[in-house]
Amino acid sequence: MGNKTWADLAGEMKTFLWNPEERTCLGRTAKSWGLILLFYFVFYTCLAGMFAFCMYVMLLTLSPYTPTYRDRVSPPGVMIRPYLNGFTIAFNISKRSTWQPYVDSMHHFLAAYDDKVQEEKNIECISGQYFIQGGNESEEKKACQFKRSLLQNCSGIEDQTFGYSRGQPCILLKMNRIIGYRPGAGVPVSVDCKVQKGNESDLRSVDFYPGNGTFDLMYYPYYGKITHVNYTSPLVAMHFTDVKRNSLVPIQCSLHGKGIVNDVNSDRFLGRIIFMLSIGK
Amino acid sequence: LSASELEEKYGTSINKGLSSSRAAEILARDGPNSLTPPKATPEIVKFLKQMVGGFSILLWIGAVFSWISFGIQFAQGAESPFDNLYLGVVLALVVILTGIFAYYQEAKSTNIMASFSKMIPQQALVIRDAEKKELPAEQLVVGDIVEIKGGDRIPADIRLISAQGCKVDNSSLTGESEPQSRSCDFTHENPLETKNIAFYSTTCVEGTATGIVINTGDRTVIGRIASLASGVGNEKTPIAIEIEHFVYLVAGVAISIGVLFFIISVSMRYKILDSIIFLIGIIVANVPEGLLATVTVSLSLTAKRMAKKNCLVKNLEAVETLGSTSIICSDKTGTLTQNRMTVAHLWFDNQIYSADTSEDQTSKYAQPFDQSSPSWTALSKIVTLCNRAEFRPGQENLPIMKRVVVGDASETALLKFAEVILGDVMSIRAQNKKVAEIPFNSTNKFQLSIHETDDPNDKRFLLVMKGAPERILERCSTIMINGKEEPLDSEKAEAFQTAYMELGGMGERVLGFCHLYLPENEFPDTYPFDTDSMNFPTSNLCFVGLLSMIDPPRSTVPDAVSKCRSAGIKVIMVTGDHPITAKAIAKSVGIISATSETVEDIAKRLNIPVEQVNRREATAAVVNGMELKDMSLQQLDDILCNHSEIVFARTSPQQKLIIVEGCQRQVRGQGKGWKPISQALQGAVVAVTGDGVNDSPALKKADIGIAMGIAGSDAAKNAADMVLLDDNFASIVTGVEEGRLIFDNLKKTIAYTLTKNIAELCPFLIYIIASIPMPIGTITILFIDLGTDIIPSVALAYEKAESDIMNRRPRNKKKDRLVNEQLAVYSYLQIGIIQSVGAFVTYFTVYAEQGFLPSTLLGVRVDWENNAINDFEDSYGQEWTKYQRMYLQWTGYTAFFVSITIQQVADLIIRKTRRNSIFQQGLFRNKVIWVGIFSQIGIALILSYGLGHVTALNFIPLRFQYWFVAVPFAILIWVYDEVRKLFIRRYPGSK
Repeated sequence: MGNKTWADLAGEMKTFLWNPEERTCLGRTAKSWGLILLFYFVFYTCLAGMFAFCMYVMLLTLSPYTPTYRDRVSPPGVMIRPYLNGFTIAFNISKRSTWQPYVDSMHHFLAAYDDKVQEEKNIECISGQYFIQGGNESEEKKACQFKRSLLQNCSGIEDQTFGYSRGQPCILLKMNRIIGYRPGAGVPVSVDCKVQKGNESDLRSVDFYPGNGTFDLMYYPYYGKITHVNYTSPLVAMHFTDVKRNSLVPIQCSLHGKGIVNDVNSDRFLGRIIFMLSIGK
Repeated sequence: LSASELEEKYGTSINKGLSSSRAAEILARDGPNSLTPPKATPEIVKFLKQMVGGFSILLWIGAVFSWISFGIQFAQGAESPFDNLYLGVVLALVVILTGIFAYYQEAKSTNIMASFSKMIPQQALVIRDAEKKELPAEQLVVGDIVEIKGGDRIPADIRLISAQGCKVDNSSLTGESEPQSRSCDFTHENPLETKNIAFYSTTCVEGTATGIVINTGDRTVIGRIASLASGVGNEKTPIAIEIEHFVYLVAGVAISIGVLFFIISVSMRYKILDSIIFLIGIIVANVPEGLLATVTVSLSLTAKRMAKKNCLVKNLEAVETLGSTSIICSDKTGTLTQNRMTVAHLWFDNQIYSADTSEDQTSKYAQPFDQSSPSWTALSKIVTLCNRAEFRPGQENLPIMKRVVVGDASETALLKFAEVILGDVMSIRAQNKKVAEIPFNSTNKFQLSIHETDDPNDKRFLLVMKGAPERILERCSTIMINGKEEPLDSEKAEAFQTAYMELGGMGERVLGFCHLYLPENEFPDTYPFDTDSMNFPTSNLCFVGLLSMIDPPRSTVPDAVSKCRSAGIKVIMVTGDHPITAKAIAKSVGIISATSETVEDIAKRLNIPVEQVNRREATAAVVNGMELKDMSLQQLDDILCNHSEIVFARTSPQQKLIIVEGCQRQVRGQGKGWKPISQALQGAVVAVTGDGVNDSPALKKADIGIAMGIAGSDAAKNAADMVLLDDNFASIVTGVEEGRLIFDNLKKTIAYTLTKNIAELCPFLIYIIASIPMPIGTITILFIDLGTDIIPSVALAYEKAESDIMNRRPRNKKKDRLVNEQLAVYSYLQIGIIQSVGAFVTYFTVYAEQGFLPSTLLGVRVDWENNAINDFEDSYGQEWTKYQRMYLQWTGYTAFFVSITIQQVADLIIRKTRRNSIFQQGLFRNKVIWVGIFSQIGIALILSYGLGHVTALNFIPLRFQYWFVAVPFAILIWVYDEVRKLFIRRYPGSK
């Protein structure tokens, strides 16, 4: 074994690849290869068939409107807008280019909430109570209007820059959609914000719209994207009117209400959100 | 050399010895008088070897990559970089733990042996400064005068200068089982043969002697043999080669798939860092981390089982080597035979009778000869009286055959023979008081004693004599036939010759017995017998009979030899004994079968010269050491491959080595017969048994050296891989059976283990290609490999044989690999793929029921893993935070894990057999398999429900129904494999 030369080895390799005497390639004849490939083709086709069949049966058991389980997705998480590529909102008032992307993002996001669009697609609902729509699961569900104008100073209608040009940025808070979820168990969920770590006085005042920063019950429950086509998530706008300038201020905004969880260490977006504000001159 | 010349040569004085100062000088020059132990590998090196051997190196690479990627991620300040740190630590832990485990296992088996080599410090009686001193033997130097007496071990190589009836047992050196007498006469050129040298480590059996130390330590004859042994390289065991082959195969697959997918992922624009993490995952998925530990455990379980059957295995891998053995070179004395002389035949009244030679003869009724003849009475009296051997006192409760006797081998045999038949020999001797005695010596070759008779009315003295038959016959004028003295005519002498030749031809040692009643008138009560002047008749005696003795074969050996035959193992006898004795024993145990003939036999039968016999016709061969000396290697090969039944007699240690090497050159040809091949690497697997120091080079050279536990010397035990505790050849055969079984079972274990590697690997590949959320985590994989799968794969080692493995030929080292193409392909591409599909069904089910339909999952990876996206939309419009997704992903891991576990249960059941249906083998015969199955499911339950809240482990309490999603696939695996086995049984030999 040890005293074989490379030439021998190469020769052996060549015979292995193609043996002209026995007409074999990689040690098998064409017929043998054919049989093997046929076998594996049939074998894998059958397996694929069984896989497809299992998946088909499994999908049949699912409802197209509601997932079987919703235990992993609740309680709801929270997101903010503007969202560019992180949770730090930093800009200089004097430099338009530093805040314009945020403003654009807000306008883009709020386009669906334009009063006109909402009036056209959605209905007005009775505030203060869940908008429960019975009937067949497959019937299309109505959605309640959430007009942009409700956000008042943060609606971007009067102040096209959402306060960014004055160093008083608006940030929108959005609660994650969960099918059938009724947040707050009859009492609207409210939002508050505080400095996450550090000096409390860095954040002196925040205004909340609409109301006092609550998610009205009439927007719930959500019925899923197939039947609840025009559903628009309700928002709470936070107007940071007096934040310490020229420093990075970590802010945590949390939901409060029955059934809301906002203190899990491992999930920092569950019922709360932490972001940085850095407003320069 | 004369005594004075010796004094001069070694600068010593026979009376005074060396001076202490001179002795100290020489001691400083030559070093202590002890054998340098073979160089032991330092423990730390052994440990490190375990740390980098096998798959460890791959896992180390994985760990290092994990740490590198952790470092990079940490430097970049990513949010959860600790995953990779953990992974690296876990991988390192896995390597270290399996390393420690393997090291521990090895150390444990080495320790058993270490206890063997412990020797009691030896003392020697030395003359120094004209005084006799007791010194530790280590301090002996050349030129010392030492005194030895019966029972001592010779402390160095000694030239005797005076000796009184000194006999030494050289069996550990030369393999001669008879004690050799020693005197101060120079008798032979060869130092090994001459009578005036006693060798280190041999024992003085009787007598006393004084001598000059001529060699010490490693320069002694035994020291040179020992260094010859350590000079012989250790061959790699077959199983080590198989495992290496397997590691290469799997590592090759792991690395090539890893690199291939590294390239694919880089070209798919994954980040290099991510690609490296994929690479780690692929390696971890591909490497069966637990397998090597499992193999070790299986081997040590078998080793334990073998130890119970009296095979103590020193080197774990030797367990399997024994199973692949194709040639056994066996010693004769002690291994095939009982290692004690026993009376085998008697001749009296013109007739040959055979005696019982079994190990546990107890009653005289078991003796198959006629005890009523008066000749037998006379013979038995001589046997009893003309014998100096005695039982050591205090052994009355032991069976006769086990009692210790003081006396030489033949006398012991006769004593025991008499004791069995006549009962209390000692009281018979007491009744026949001995009045005179001439002990045996080599010049007159007889032993004589004169006794009073036990009949009070008979005042005659009885003279009894035994010795070499022809010498005894010379002294006789009459012969006893049926109790009557008849004149010894030529016809009767002829009958005697025939009987003598026949017994001698059976390789037995024959003794003649005669007696004479001395007439009362000539020899009255008070007659003063003088043994020096021999004032009594020593001729014209009455010949009574012959007794022949042999070291009889152990009763279990013939059966064991025939088992070896049917198992395709060639048994060769290699002995230092006389060819005739060797052949007789070989015939009686079946090494030479009843029908086969040697060249000499054929020549005798056809009455033609040996040269004219067609050598091919003879199946058996008895080769003398002298013939062997003049043989070329080709001739030896020729003998080894052309004769199926071979006995080597009168062989020296070096020749034994040559024979072993010759056997290793042989290879089993296609079909029947053997053919020699030029490449030494590919030969037969040779087992060698031995007990003496002289055997140690051959033991070392053999693929598996088997030392005798009782008779074996320390050197032999050190050189061997295995120790037979009962010195019984039959134990080797049970060892072979176990060895073959473990090879089969290891194959099953490996097939079982390899299968799930595909189910672990596929997730990574599909993750990379289809960009779905990760189906199974690296740590989860480790929990399968080192958690749920360990006990079941060990349980396969308890599987019973499928068919009679002892009717199979030994495996061909080149062809019957532990892991062959078929096994790998079947595990990887068939069962493994079914398992993957089953696991993926579970995975997709878990995700779909939570809101992510399979269609949504494809291509989702980048956003899915983005930490910033916390409102990720599922198929139903719900929004998920990152952590919620991760939690779901871990649920997926657990589900995937559980599916693999469930399907591994089916895999375990199908692996119980390779050809037979499960129903033929029986589902419940191997209880340990069920322990395995329950442990597997139990561990999975604990991991999922018990440890489901430990974040780092990524296990989640799983909904109960997900445990059953993969069950149809488990059943599919079972049914598919049953169909395959059915085809194999129906159409054996096809693909």
